[in-house]
Amino acid sequence: MPAFHQIGHNSENLLSEKGLERFGGAILSPLNYGPSAVEAQIQSLKSRPGFVTIFDPHLYRPQSERMCLPEWDYYPKDVETADLNEKWWASIAEKVASTAKKLETGAVASPAIVPKIFPDEFFLQLIATGNRLEAALRGSPVKPIQTIIANMADLASQQRVMTIASIVSRSRISDCLLVFVNSIEPRRELADPEELKGAMRLIQTLESGGQTTTIAFSSSDMVLWKAAGATNCATGKFFNLRRFTISRFDEPNDSGGGQLGYWFEESLLAFLRQSDVLRVRERGFVSSASGENPFVAPILEAIPAKEPWVALGWRQFLYWFADAEYRLQKGTTTAGDLVAVADRNWAEIEKSKPPLLMEERQNDGGWVRQWYRALVELPNFR
Amino acid sequence: MAPYTLQPVAQAICTASKYTFGGGAGQGTFKETYLATKPDGTKLALKVLRPGCSSARSEREVEAMKRCSHPNIIPLLELAEIIHAGTKYGYLLETFMAGGTLDDRLRKGRLTRNEMLTLGGELISAVSHIADHELVHRDIKPTNIMYPNAGAEAVVCDFGVVRDLRKESITDSFLLVGPGTPFFAAPEQLNNEKALIDWRADQFAIGVTLTVGHFGFHPYQGEGEDENQAVSHVAARKGPSDKFVRAIEASRLPVLAKMVALWPAERVRTAYKLLEGWRKQN
Repeated sequence: MPAFHQIGHNSENLLSEKGLERFGGAILSPLNYGPSAVEAQIQSLKSRPGFVTIFDPHLYRPQSERMCLPEWDYYPKDVETADLNEKWWASIAEKVASTAKKLETGAVASPAIVPKIFPDEFFLQLIATGNRLEAALRGSPVKPIQTIIANMADLASQQRVMTIASIVSRSRISDCLLVFVNSIEPRRELADPEELKGAMRLIQTLESGGQTTTIAFSSSDMVLWKAAGATNCATGKFFNLRRFTISRFDEPNDSGGGQLGYWFEESLLAFLRQSDVLRVRERGFVSSASGENPFVAPILEAIPAKEPWVALGWRQFLYWFADAEYRLQKGTTTAGDLVAVADRNWAEIEKSKPPLLMEERQNDGGWVRQWYRALVELPNFR
Repeated sequence: MAPYTLQPVAQAICTASKYTFGGGAGQGTFKETYLATKPDGTKLALKVLRPGCSSARSEREVEAMKRCSHPNIIPLLELAEIIHAGTKYGYLLETFMAGGTLDDRLRKGRLTRNEMLTLGGELISAVSHIADHELVHRDIKPTNIMYPNAGAEAVVCDFGVVRDLRKESITDSFLLVGPGTPFFAAPEQLNNEKALIDWRADQFAIGVTLTVGHFGFHPYQGEGEDENQAVSHVAARKGPSDKFVRAIEASRLPVLAKMVALWPAERVRTAYKLLEGWRKQN
């Protein structure tokens, strides 16, 4: 399936941009836009054949992250005082279903909150809410999607992964929106091989049981999710820099995705700053995928002209994401190939003389080795 | 077998209803079963509930049976109460299963592949109906599978430990083991993992029942191992025995193998899909 664009602040125009046509769906954001804007987005996207729109009610942190949410009918006025019990969730599910029908979106994700801890009861509640949404949408053209929020730290245990998979596979809904919560800093990669194996096993188990998975808030880790069999992966313009982390919400909102331009380099599976781009090019590490990326040439023109290229960086990453997803889906490349090449290149960089030192100390490819391990060791994950 | 203590009550019910009392036919923790015959010759199973014995369980059993209506599930004909010697007793009337149990049938020999496939279809159909009502039987086994008469389709009986997923569980969370018969129970029942209990626990029990009926051994029972060891392997979620894996491959029964997977997520997700897959094995 094609890649999904996770719409963020001022990013809906990217969907129709030349070079980014490969995105086959969008996850709409009521956080960034009010009802009339989202309705207009849906109507405009309807003209694209086969394009899928998913409305995500975005109640992940309704008390701290509201933005446009209060403009929506389903946004609970009592979010600060309510007990958030079954009755409360049932009412939210009904309202979200009614909003989705009014918007005429293709699909809607079940409302869910990011909890402090992730016990069995949390997953049972997610399923109960999902089933309510499914019941409320029965007979309408809007497709329900089961939201599942899993904590990466919990997924290091196979027992926990299978428990979660066993509970969520009880949902009457066959399509899932999977959100992995973690506490890594923005601009850092997921790098715990046990957690990665657990996340991959969760995807694998749900998919082999007949539930499709769309991995929300993905970044370059999409290659791992695709290797596990994820049907769709979604990303947004800022997910070259940040992901669904707790710290993400602690950053000032006005900084957007950061003011620095980043280039995503497939040969290293890494985001590079401007000076690193020049170093890596000089040493011949730029991949053919980057060579074919239509946003690379404008970046290379912007750099010597000392023009800002932050927005081109978003596009360069988004193009790579959709293109790599397509190649992985088609089987013209595999996650194993991409990770092995990156691992080899990082090894060469380490040995290179004079040393090739990246601007950011942590940009050392350390996660690539862990990704490689996760891929190789997944079959024996216990 | 312990003596039938509720016989005078059963006799009083028969007298009041003008039935012929036919003696004891079985007993469980919560009730005793007697044979009763109507004046037109129809045979009935009269189940008298023990007074004060987990009324919540008995109520759930009755509610579950009232909700179900399916050719492969024993019908509840009547539910009533009688006051006998100053004490109130509840009782149920069900069709008497003259064809005996699957357990009786297995004493005569194993099921052929075709018999097993037919029985599997009937049991899956019954469990699909039970699951549609958000119920989990939790005690499917050869003694709870009966035949109205020889050659008839099997019916699932005894909803004594039924779980209603719409209601609060009756089982205490601190218990090591949940209700059910260990030899046929899924790991989530054996480990009292309440959040994992759903219709797929019944799917597991059907899988074990059919494996025992056709192959003559439990899927997790290795060469030279006894029944307790099989149960321990299931509880510890250790893979199926080599002889089961070989038997499944030789018999081309991949769906049966999936039914007895150790995690619910690895079994067939919906009853509809299970029935569809099961029929394709023919």
